[in-house]
Amino acid sequence: MIREYIDSGILETYVMGVASDQEVKELMRMKAKYPEIKEALKELELDMERIADHMAITPPPSTWNKIEQEINDLIVRPETDPEQFTQRENFSSKQNGNQYIEVESESSHMRIHKNWKWVFAAVFVLGKIFLGCAIYFYLENRQAQENINELKTEIRQLKK
Amino acid sequence: METQLQTSDIIQNPGRYVQELYNQYAAKLLGHIFEVVKNMNIAEQYLIAVFKDVPNELNELSKSEVNSFCYLQAMARKKLTNFFESVNDCAVADQVPATANPNNKYVGMMTLEQQLVFCGVYWHGKTITKLAAELDKTEETIKRVLKECFTTIRNSSR
Repeated sequence: MIREYIDSGILETYVMGVASDQEVKELMRMKAKYPEIKEALKELELDMERIADHMAITPPPSTWNKIEQEINDLIVRPETDPEQFTQRENFSSKQNGNQYIEVESESSHMRIHKNWKWVFAAVFVLGKIFLGCAIYFYLENRQAQENINELKTEIRQLKK
Repeated sequence: METQLQTSDIIQNPGRYVQELYNQYAAKLLGHIFEVVKNMNIAEQYLIAVFKDVPNELNELSKSEVNSFCYLQAMARKKLTNFFESVNDCAVADQVPATANPNNKYVGMMTLEQQLVFCGVYWHGKTITKLAAELDKTEETIKRVLKECFTTIRNSSR
């Protein structure tokens, strides 16, 4: 029965890609059940490779680059856990050499020490005090000028 | 003939897997496609289209029981469906298979009937039903002839 099935040409129809859905289903069932069919199918698949190998044409070198470019746009990078920071052995061992790596940063921001916030706060408060003092002395000065002018006027009237 | 990569390798590095497949099968596949379309630029475009789809087929291709080349060839055949419909038919009336490449030693060793069946299926994407109708034979006969084709191929490669 298995020999008959193999000889029917159904396996060849399958490897050539022209078997019907029903034939494929049946073949898969038979393949799982009978190792002879599995073996025969494997042989036929190798035959298919052999035929193709005989007619093979090496693609132009640029073909893979085109494929790679398209695939890279499609492939989603697998998620990976962020690596925990550990002091690198080779980094700490370079005590005698240059410990800093020259990096040309593209960011427009800069990082500074936290202590600078107290300096900025003090500068801000002092700025406010100076501003208040300036306004106070300006008004005082204006008042004094007005008093002087009034006194001058009174002296002129007394002289007359 | 085939070196299967581990499934985990494929998932972790699909790009490398596609390249592996390309290195192994691109030449064979291009040769097959070229025999169908008879134009190197078009054949290359089809080849690119096939390998571009490989990342979507990783689940199937990574199965150990799947022959990668046959699967890739099936993908190519699917893409060539429209081309099969538009291309000139085998010259059955003249009893000379138009696609029977004289350089193909396997096809050259087949009988005329075997050539018509093999070329019809392999390079023209014809179904068994269509070939049976064209050659005025039963489907069983066509399948049997197809089997004979493979026997010829196997014998001539020994």
